[in-house]
Order: sequence, then structure tokens, then C-alpha cells
Amino acid sequence: MAETVLMPKSGISVESCIIGNWKKKVGDEVKIGDILFDYETDKASFECESTAEGVLLEIFFGDGDEVEVLKPVCAVGAAGEDVKALNPTSAGTISVSETSTSDEEATKTDLNASESENTATCEATSGKKEESSAKASPKAKNLAEKLGVNIADATGTGPEGRVIARDVETLAKAAFDSKYEAATKSTDIATSGAVLGKSSEVSEKETDLGEAYTDEKLTKIRSVIASAMINSLQSAAQLTNHHSFDASAILAYRKLLKAGDENYSGISLGDMVLFAVSRTLPDFPYLNALLIDEGKVIRTYKNVNLGVAVDTPRGLMVPTVFDANLKSLKEISDEVKALASACRAGNISPDLLQGGTFTVSNLGTTGVEVFTPILNPPQVGILGVAGVVNRVREGANGIEVYPAMGLSLTYDHRAVDGAPASRFAQALAKNLEQFTLILAGK
Amino acid sequence: MPDTMFIHPDTLKEKGAIHFTDIPVNAYQKTVKEERKNYSDDDLKRIYRDITILRAFESMLNQIKTQGVYNGIETTYPGPAHLSLGQESAAVGQAYLLDTHDVMFGSHRSHSEILAKSLSAINKLDDSTLYDIMSSFMGGKTLKALESVYKAKDTKDLAIHFLLYGTLSEIFARETGFHRGMGGSMHAFFLPFGVYPNNAIVGGSGTIAAGGALYKRVNHKDGLVICNIGDGSLGCGPVWEALNFAAMGQYKTLWEDGNNAGGLPIIFNIFNNGYGMGGQTSGETMAYDMLARIGAGVEPSQMHAERVWGHNPLAVIDVYRRKKELLAKKEGPIFLDVLTYRLSGHSTSDQNAYRSKEELEEWANADPVLTFRKELVDAKVAPDSFFDEMWNETNERMTRVCAWASDKETSPYADFVNDPGFVERTMFSEEKVASYGSEKPEVLIKKEDCSRVKQIEGKSRFAFDKDGKAVSKMKTYNIRDAIFEPMLDKFYEDSSLITYGEDVRDWGGAFAVYRGLKEVLPHNRLFNAPISEAAIVGTGVGYALCGGRAVVELMYCDFIGRAGDEVFNQMSKWQAMSAGILKMPLILRVSVGAKYGAQHSQDWTALCAHIPGLKVCFPATPYEAKGLMTTALNGSDPVVFFESQRIYDKGEEFNEGGVPKESYEIAFGDVNTVRTGQDVTILTIGATLYKAIEAAKILEEKYGVSAEVINLHSLVPLDYTKIIESVKKTGRVVIAGDACARGSFMNEVARNITELAFDHLDGPPVVVGAQNWITPPFEFDEFFFPQAGWIIDAIHEKILPLKGHTPTVNNFLSAEQLRRAKLGV
Repeated sequence: MAETVLMPKSGISVESCIIGNWKKKVGDEVKIGDILFDYETDKASFECESTAEGVLLEIFFGDGDEVEVLKPVCAVGAAGEDVKALNPTSAGTISVSETSTSDEEATKTDLNASESENTATCEATSGKKEESSAKASPKAKNLAEKLGVNIADATGTGPEGRVIARDVETLAKAAFDSKYEAATKSTDIATSGAVLGKSSEVSEKETDLGEAYTDEKLTKIRSVIASAMINSLQSAAQLTNHHSFDASAILAYRKLLKAGDENYSGISLGDMVLFAVSRTLPDFPYLNALLIDEGKVIRTYKNVNLGVAVDTPRGLMVPTVFDANLKSLKEISDEVKALASACRAGNISPDLLQGGTFTVSNLGTTGVEVFTPILNPPQVGILGVAGVVNRVREGANGIEVYPAMGLSLTYDHRAVDGAPASRFAQALAKNLEQFTLILAGK
Repeated sequence: MPDTMFIHPDTLKEKGAIHFTDIPVNAYQKTVKEERKNYSDDDLKRIYRDITILRAFESMLNQIKTQGVYNGIETTYPGPAHLSLGQESAAVGQAYLLDTHDVMFGSHRSHSEILAKSLSAINKLDDSTLYDIMSSFMGGKTLKALESVYKAKDTKDLAIHFLLYGTLSEIFARETGFHRGMGGSMHAFFLPFGVYPNNAIVGGSGTIAAGGALYKRVNHKDGLVICNIGDGSLGCGPVWEALNFAAMGQYKTLWEDGNNAGGLPIIFNIFNNGYGMGGQTSGETMAYDMLARIGAGVEPSQMHAERVWGHNPLAVIDVYRRKKELLAKKEGPIFLDVLTYRLSGHSTSDQNAYRSKEELEEWANADPVLTFRKELVDAKVAPDSFFDEMWNETNERMTRVCAWASDKETSPYADFVNDPGFVERTMFSEEKVASYGSEKPEVLIKKEDCSRVKQIEGKSRFAFDKDGKAVSKMKTYNIRDAIFEPMLDKFYEDSSLITYGEDVRDWGGAFAVYRGLKEVLPHNRLFNAPISEAAIVGTGVGYALCGGRAVVELMYCDFIGRAGDEVFNQMSKWQAMSAGILKMPLILRVSVGAKYGAQHSQDWTALCAHIPGLKVCFPATPYEAKGLMTTALNGSDPVVFFESQRIYDKGEEFNEGGVPKESYEIAFGDVNTVRTGQDVTILTIGATLYKAIEAAKILEEKYGVSAEVINLHSLVPLDYTKIIESVKKTGRVVIAGDACARGSFMNEVARNITELAFDHLDGPPVVVGAQNWITPPFEFDEFFFPQAGWIIDAIHEKILPLKGHTPTVNNFLSAEQLRRAKLGV
């Protein structure tokens, strides 16, 4: 059975080491005590002796790589053994950036391990996952099972590196974040991420209430959003046109639905805007589009895949209503409700968080009158929906009051000019004012 | 130290001498012929008959143990057979004048004494009383078994068979034995005939018998107490403690019970067979030359000591007649040196390497079985053939009894397979008995007139006032008060309740728990004991198993060592060894010291909790103290009641509403959750509770860790339900107490939690005890006893690393743990 050789811990404060040169290569026979590679800390150089005997099956980190202490650097075993599961850099294990958030705990663990101070022997751990989980507390094991995470992936912050309950909780949070991150990265189509993830329980407790301010590291999810946002603003030529329309027709229709069959009474003004967008966009394909290949290619879509912003306890999420132009108002309304509920429950499939060709963000219920939505690159357009306010205009019978609703269209000027963008907004406003006509279909 | 007894230097410095009077040696020199007018023929025949029964009984045991067969009956048993072949005449002589209300305690070599006393009782009791005793004893189990195989000639014949059968069944460990086989050869007895426990510990009966005599004296019971021990036991300290305890000066000088005459109604009967196992007492292992000399060293009346020739039953009867008269005049205690000789070995494996063949032969010739029979024949009490007939009858009877007791159908073993709780049920009697006394409790004043009662009246029963401010110590009802209050109530309820220990009366106990009690109680209910820890506990055992309730006190927990046998072998075991017949309503108060160094600061809860049969509690708050003391005082079981000198003046800080004025009980085994929390459970034993509360506050404020604190005020029994619930909730547990960690009760708790809540643990249960050192002086307490910081360190290093915490002691690293274990420190 293959074993890993760990990066030695060469001092109480050492957290990572840089590999100098490998003295052995994959396929070499190694014995316990053979020098595998040399490495250096910020203070000195050392040689790492093998703690396992057999064939060097795989080297996980190469010359010059910085490796956290006590992390497997290579696998040794019988020729032909599959050691993929032992590779800490392969999928499913925790990335360096994630473990770095628990640096402080790791340092504390080091204090406990003072007996290993100033020693530079390699430590071996068995390659089997069950055995590596033997260093976990019973409670942690049970919690991992309950939360459906693999305890072998947890970073132990308990005494002597034991995985304890809080590590499994951290792992479970990270797993969710990773899933989310994967969803945002696994395709060219990026969706805007959530806002303001809830800070972890531990960091809340660590807050010193006596201070005038609070420092908190961004949560994983927040960090993803932050870079997506800054990337959006830095990479696209964004501008926003503000329009409004007379909402009397959709308000009247809403009233009608509300009073009628309960199957339809849940259809909201927002659903009607989505429906109108889905019916208007096909006529303006340059806005139902992605600007890809470093801004050199515009890909326009035949069908409308509508990204819909949903507010959840974890933050804002944007699931996609695919082929919205082919769906009825009722179908769109039902689908949005189902997607929103899955987002709030946290069990939304990552597949549904991608693939949008245009996004609608509705802040109407929060009293917003005008705002400037940020594009989800590489989408070309995003529509912000504001609330209903009463306005006056000159009508047939003089000055009259009417309910006006705001629409804010942000678009990428690299792909679309102001006039064509405004034409879409105008068409959309008109369709909303004559809502029953688009209901009737073409 | 009573202030009524003035010690004047002028008196002490006067010239003088201590005068002794002669101690009689074999004063009785009469022949049977000379005694014919004082004894009927039947009396004399019966004396010899009893000797034959005793001899035949032990001869049978000897054959069974050495040959596995008796008169053709193949049988054996693995237990002991400490025989007294040769000593029968002394036992029969002793029992001759005793009544059933005279109480006898014995040694490991007491078959003959038990049988002789019982035969004497059978002879004296009328048939209907006798039958009632037999048919009601143990629900009639023994009698039913006997009647299923034997049709008796008359009630006395039945009773003799009953006695032999019940005793032999007991020795054979059968359920038909007098204690369902749980006592055995060295622990056989039969209360209805006044035969109280014999004792496998040499000299063990010394203090217990004195306690029995104390019971008779205090509760005005008829009869005297016999303490049968051997010459070997005179080398045992507790026996000397018992002699002094029975003869203390205060019985004459201070006790108000109107006797004003002497010490306790007890005869220390030393069956002096010349050997303590193989050690020859006179001339080799003991200094006394003649054993009776000891009486002269104990008290001015020399304990009315005499040396008597035990081979002549009439000589023994004579001395008992005279000594009984002395006891009737309240002139105890008595000390008798009864010469006898053990023809058999110490046990059946004895090679007799310590005595010569010639010596054995001489004593075989002097065997009273021969010599007394010859005297009877010579005095024409009966012809020799009569005694042959008597022997035949005795042997036939013994053969029958042996057959019945050997037969597994008539005399089955306890069924441990189908009734695994057989012993378990008798470990504790679990009775609620308001009073063991039958008289109006003797008190000197009304309860409300007691100065302490008035003082307590003015105290706050909660540690904080309504604004949450701490009440001053002087005005706070504390743990001292919480122990005193239920005891005082019980003194007015149970006339049998007495309390004693070192300095408990005038001083009010070294730590003032009993302050004011002497206003209420006469000396026979509250008295200063000599500095005799073995006697303090041992007499308590005797007092309780004779039917009274006692609270005795050892000033420091560390002194338990001085009463080791009494606590660990006597107080703990008699309920179960008697199959539940005996009760042990004895409370032993011990306090754990704090400032007096290595021999005065130890928490020995583990020692007591280790011994089966003791209930052990350790209250740490006034609410717990009062509730537990009330429970102990209402119960029937032995309780070791631990107190901590560190916290005697603590007020009640946890129980809402403070300590109730009215009586209430806290069930033994319950635990006290004084603080609730989510992240870690801290279990405490004793005064460490307050360190844990301190730790919990720091954990909360500095590390955001919410700690639940549960005080284990009861160690035995202990209901783990709430502990496990808490550990399941928090997943983390520290057990802290002032005992040295190694072998502590904390380890026991940790083990059980590990087994019972393993899957819920986020780290190992960690024990935070004192160092495995001597206790250094008080100035270094923080290096020896668990502190709040240690508890936090333990959590940080073993269970849940705390962000930003720097350990203060580095006590809990694995390497350090291994190092200490390796060094034994």
C-alpha cells in the first residue's frame, strides 16, 4: 500500500518550505532514510529523508515549489499502484488559499507539537483515506457523515493536528463555496455572484467588542464576488441608460390575476418584466449576446437564457431561466419561484447558475428609483428594474398622474452603441405598456 | 478539654506512685465434685454435650478440607477452615450464662463460639419463641430446607439441627446458609441468638464490639457485649484503641446518663491459645509475658482483668458469673485472658513448624474432651458409656447435617446465572428510616433556644442580596450551617443518633461545624473521642449494626489511613456479607484540608469510591451539603461524607432562592448543573467547582467558548444521565478536582464518558487533577492544585485549541504526560 512522505516541519514557526532539487525521480527505488530532495526554510537548508520504502510513484510538487509543512510531497509504494487519491493538489482537496485562512489555528497547533521542534525527520502517513481520518475526533467523523463531506479533506486544527468538529464545519462551508466557485468558473459564461456572505461563527466570536472597528477577512464567496466585480468594471466599457414606462397595464393585469384563479395569483410584476424581456430581446440579438475571445467576437443567441437575480441569506444569486422566450408567463413565474427557493435552501444545482445570455436584476421592491447594474462579463447587457413611482404627464384631459416604473439598462459599449441599446429599452417599455399584446403572442 | 475539669499544676507535681492490685491467675480451683451442688446433672451433661457438638463440627470440617469426605459423604468446599479444636470448653463456659440479648462478636476462628452461644440460647428460649425465630429467619428459607429432609423429635432438637445446618450451609456458600452463603466460615453469625458477626480481620471485632457496647449504654439496652478476639490481636493498634475507648475517663467524669460508674458494658474476652498464626505470643511476638497484665495498663480498675484456665468450662463459667455482676453494677469494661490451646493448625495447610511434637502431645493429653469427661465420670454425673452414647448421637447428627448441606438440591448455591443481581441487591439497603431510636430523644434545651439556631436565623441563605451584591461572610448561611442544620433536626427526631470524633464537643469540631451543639446534647450523644481513628470508625460500625444511627468524624481526610480497615473492610462490607440482614446507617464525615501540608491536604475520594459498599459524596455548596446530609441521615447505608476546608464558609451562589429552611433531600447519584453552556462541559469534584466557574467566565469572555459546569456531589452512586447528555451536547469534557490525578475518581468518570459518549466526543475527556506529588506548603498551592488556568490549558492543549491562548503551565502535552508517567510523578 502506497504511503506519502510529508514535507517535514523544521521548526516551531515554519509553515511552509521551498523544495530545492529532487534527488530521486519517479520510478526510482527508495529506502527509508534515502535523501529525496533538499528544501529550505527562511532560515536554513535541510534534506528530506524518505520515511517509506518502495518505488517513488509520484512527485506532487516539483523543484522550486513552496509546500506547506506536513503536506504530502510524494507517494512511495509498489510499482503500478494508483496514488491519485494521495495527491494533495488534485481536485477535491483544499486549495492553498483556503488553508491559509486558518493559518493562525495552524500556528497554535504547532505550539502543541513542541516536541518536534528543531527536528527535521519526515513523517509518513498511510495513503488510505480511512486511516488518515483516524486522526479525527468521533464527533468530527459523525458530523462529516451528516454534512456529506469527506473528512479526509478536512484540515485538522485540533491538538496534534486532529480533525475536530470545527474543521468539518469549515470544510462543509468551503465545499459549498467551492461548488459555487466551480459553477462560476467552469464555463465562459460568468454569472454575478452573491453579496455579503454570512461571516463564520468562529470569526464572530473572535471579534473584540471593545474595539472601535472590526477586521474580518472576506469569506471565500465574498472574495470570488469581489474579483468578479472588479474584473467586470475593468474589462468592459459599461454605461447605463435610464428609461421609464407607464406601469398601468401591468398593474391592472396584476390586479386581475390576483383576484382570479389562485394558480395565477402568484405572478408578480417582476415576472411580467422577465416575460417582456424574453419577448423583446429576440428582436435585438446584439443585446442577447456575449462578447468573447478577448472582445474580438460577439456571439449572439437565438434563444433567451435569462439570468435572474435572487436575494438569499447567503447573498445574491443568479440562476438561469433557459429558453425563456419559449416559455409562457406562468411557466417563467413558476420556474423563477422554484429557482429562488433552491437558491435560498442552498441546494441549487451549479448547472443552473450558469449559461445566461442576459441578466435582469430587480431591486423594485426595495424602493430603488434608479441604479447602475454591473455587467456579468461576457454578457453584453443587464437590465435593472426599479420600483413604481407616481409621476405626472400631460394627457388628453390635462395633467394626469400615472404609475411609472424605471428600467436601467447597462450595456458594453464595445459591443453596442447607445442608440441601438436605447431602441431595445424603448421597445421593451412599449411592450410593457401594451402587455396584453405580447401576451397574445406573435 | 472540658472546662469543668481543672488541671492544677500543684496536683500534678506532687510525689507519689501508681498502685496496681494483683491480677488473679487461675483463681478458680474447684473440682466437679465440689460444684455438684451448683449444677444439676443435666447442666453438666449439657455442658459436655455442647463440647461434643463443637468438637464434632470442626472435626467434620477438618476431614472435609483434608480428605474430601466425612463419614462416607464425599464433599468439599474451597473456602477457609480456621479451626479451634481444643478450645471448645472455653467457648461453652463463656456461653453458659449468656442470654440472647447479650451480644457476641468474634474472630476468624469462631465456629465454636457461635455454636456455643447459640446452643446456650436454644436451651434458654421457650419452644414457641424458638420456632418463631427459625420460621421467620430469611423468610423461613433455611427452616423449610431442613424440614424437607428432617422430622425432628422436638423443637429443641429441630433448633440444634437448624443451627448446625444453617452454619454449615453458610460455610458451604449455600443459599440456605444463615447469610445465603455470602458470609462464609469467617463471617458467620446469627443475630436472633445474640451472635453478631465474627470477623476475618484479626482484631477487627475490637472496635466494633466496643461500638456495640456504646449502643447498649446510650440506648439503655439490656445485656452486655462480648468481644472474642485472640491473643494475636493484642498486637493490633485498633484493639488497643478499642480497650481505651471502652474505658474512657469521661464515662465516669462527664456523662450525665446517671450511671456514673464505669465504662462500657463489654467483656474483652481474649481466647489465649498461645499463637498468632505461628507466632508465639508470650515470649516471642508480644511483651506482656502474661496477657492479663494489659488490663492494668488501661485504667485504674485494671479492667478487672483475670487470667482463667479455659480448659475447665466451670472455671470460665465462674469468672463470667462474677464479671456479669460487675457489669450489672456498670463497672465495665472487663478484660479476660482465657487460656486455651489450639490442637489443630491455624488452617488446614498448617505444617505446625512452630511447635514441637512433644508440646502437641502434652496438650492432647490435657484436652478437655478427655479430662472434663473423666471428671464427670469420676464425679458420678454419668457412667462413661453414657458419653459414648452422647458421642454417637452427636456424630450421627453431624453426618445428617453434612449430607443435607452437601446436597445441591436441598442446599442450592445462589443462582448467579438466572439471578445475576443476587449480590447487587444487598450492596446497599436503600431504606428510608426517620428514626432508629425507640425513646424520646435526650436533649438539654429546646431547639429554638440553641444559640447557633438563633445565629443561623439571622443569616442570608443566599450568597448575594437582591441587588446581586455579595452578602458579608459573617451574615451568610454557609456549608458549616448546612451540615449542622439537618443534623440538629435529626437529633430531635432520632433518639439513637449520636455523633463523636476528635474535639467535636467543646471545640465544636476543629472547623466549628458543631458550634453550639453542646448546648443541646448530653455527653452520651455528643462526645470527644480519643485520637483513635480506628476506634472512631470501628465503634461507629458496631453502633450502627447493633441498631443505632451515628455520625462520626475524622478531622482530616488524610486520617482515613488510620482507620483503613474500619472504613474499607467493616463499614463497607457488612450489609452485603450479611445478605442484607445488617444495616449500616453510619455517616463518616471527613474533611479535605488546605493549608497544613502533605499529610493534611489530600482528597482521598478515590480510595473510598473504589471500595464496594460505601456511598461517597462531596458537597461543594450549602444547598448540596444540606440536601445530601439530610438524605444520608434518613437512609440506612454507610456514607463517607467529604467536606472541603477551603469552602466551609461559602454561601449558596447557585441555587435560586438559596438554601431552603425546610428539610429537603438530594438524591445520591444526582449531579448539580450550576452553569449551562454549549461548547465544553467541566465536571468538578469538591472545591474545584469554584475554579471551574472562574475558568468558565474566562472562556466565555476571552475565547467565546461557552462552558457548562456540573458539580459531581455524589461519586457513589453516580447517575451518568445528565453528564452524558451534557457531553453529547458539547462534545468536550474536562473533569477537575483536588485529588492527585493518578488513580483518581476523575479518571473513573473519564473512562465511563469515553465508553458511553465516544461517538459524540470531539476530543478525549481530560482530567485536571492535582500533581502526583506531596502537597507542598500553602504558599505553592497554585503549582499543585488545579487552577482556572489549568482547566483552560487542558482544553487548549488536548481538546480545542483556543485562538490567542498561551498555556500557563504546559501541563497537558502528551510528551509531558508520558514523561511524568514514566517517572511516576
